[in-house]
Amino acid sequence: MTDHERIEELLALRALGGLESQDEAALGREMATHGADCAECRRLVTELEETAGRLAFALDPVPVPTGMEDRLVASAKAGATVVPFTRLDERAGRDRRGGAWRAAVGIAAAFVLFAGGWVVRDLAEPSSDGAAVALEGAEVVTFEGASGSLAVAYRPGVAGVYVFGSDLPAPPAGKVYEVWMIQEDTPVPGPCLTPRADGSLFTYVDVELGTTETMAVTVESSSCPSAPTSEPILTADLTSA
Amino acid sequence: MQVDPMIDTSEADDRELLQRVGDGDEEAFRRLFRRYAPNALALARRVARQTFLAEEIVQEAFLGVWRNPGAYDEGRGSVRSWLMGMVHHRAVDAVRREEAQRRRAEDASGAEVETVEDPAERVLEEVSLPQEQRAVRAALEELPQEQRQVIELMYFGGLSQSAISQRLSLPLGTVKSRTLLGMRRLRAALGGLER
Repeated sequence: MTDHERIEELLALRALGGLESQDEAALGREMATHGADCAECRRLVTELEETAGRLAFALDPVPVPTGMEDRLVASAKAGATVVPFTRLDERAGRDRRGGAWRAAVGIAAAFVLFAGGWVVRDLAEPSSDGAAVALEGAEVVTFEGASGSLAVAYRPGVAGVYVFGSDLPAPPAGKVYEVWMIQEDTPVPGPCLTPRADGSLFTYVDVELGTTETMAVTVESSSCPSAPTSEPILTADLTSA
Repeated sequence: MQVDPMIDTSEADDRELLQRVGDGDEEAFRRLFRRYAPNALALARRVARQTFLAEEIVQEAFLGVWRNPGAYDEGRGSVRSWLMGMVHHRAVDAVRREEAQRRRAEDASGAEVETVEDPAERVLEEVSLPQEQRAVRAALEELPQEQRQVIELMYFGGLSQSAISQRLSLPLGTVKSRTLLGMRRLRAALGGLER
């Protein structure tokens, strides 16, 4: 097998997602010996990635859920990372965790009504989602815990919440903040969020709070796990709102 | 393979849309999403096998496009393959993380490993397809069964070379060689860079 055949074999595996770490390293070494100006290597990379990408079109297209496009655009414009909430019930059913995490949530700090002027300004930002929480009559609850400010605004009994914050530290590399709604001691996953560069955050989330009594925030991997893997760094008690 | 004029036209349009996204054009972003989200969702669902996770994956991939459309390199292929590559990469990462977590949980509990649907079983079932879909399916159908099986398990099933080797009781070298030969055939059938 020639050098380029070896590279082609490894690139084919990589393009299809089947390459493992030891072979990834081998591919890197092989490519490095050929240098960045290896035209054959570049051709192989391009053609194999193009071929793999086109395999996706063998599948039947799936209808896009109603509202997904608007939520995506709203998230994009807000600079946040937000996940959809169309299958909360499905997720909740397999997201039960043990007592240690519940105990941590049990010490949730008391709420503080957030009345800062910037809240009003942020809530007045346009949203393309028609299900936006109306400012009038909204409950606004802040989280307590780590540095920075984070709050949610919602109208009881009405779907959808705004999540907004300021002076929030950036999560570690490869991590995001994940919001959880604690319902009957079970953490139901909420949105995954990344603050803007200036530490601010503002986004609308199409979610039913339902019986949520406490909300919490943990630092999680960017895959947004469906159950918390760390202790909460922020908590908010909605029953006091 | 003959160049599909529809594909060439849409690719030029895709690049223009992506350029406009770089200028902050929301409508261009929406058009790109409407054009490819159904395929992206299909891919993410197939690999991740969970609807909610698939939606997360697609949403994150498109957010990545909005945040950094400059990441697309014209020299590296078509916009749509780039998009699907991002979705696929995220889906494979997600499914392997979940798989590892599940394995750890099952190891701890001694539970049986759940059998999942073999993704190779359903890919080629449907007929009456759009042109692009027909072309890709035809290319897959032309592959020898053993090459198609390995490629489908890897791409649509999200399995690594070692996982396929174990599942099919094949030497790892055989998995690699079948992948290489299959991809060569697909590349030739789909026209490589024709887009």
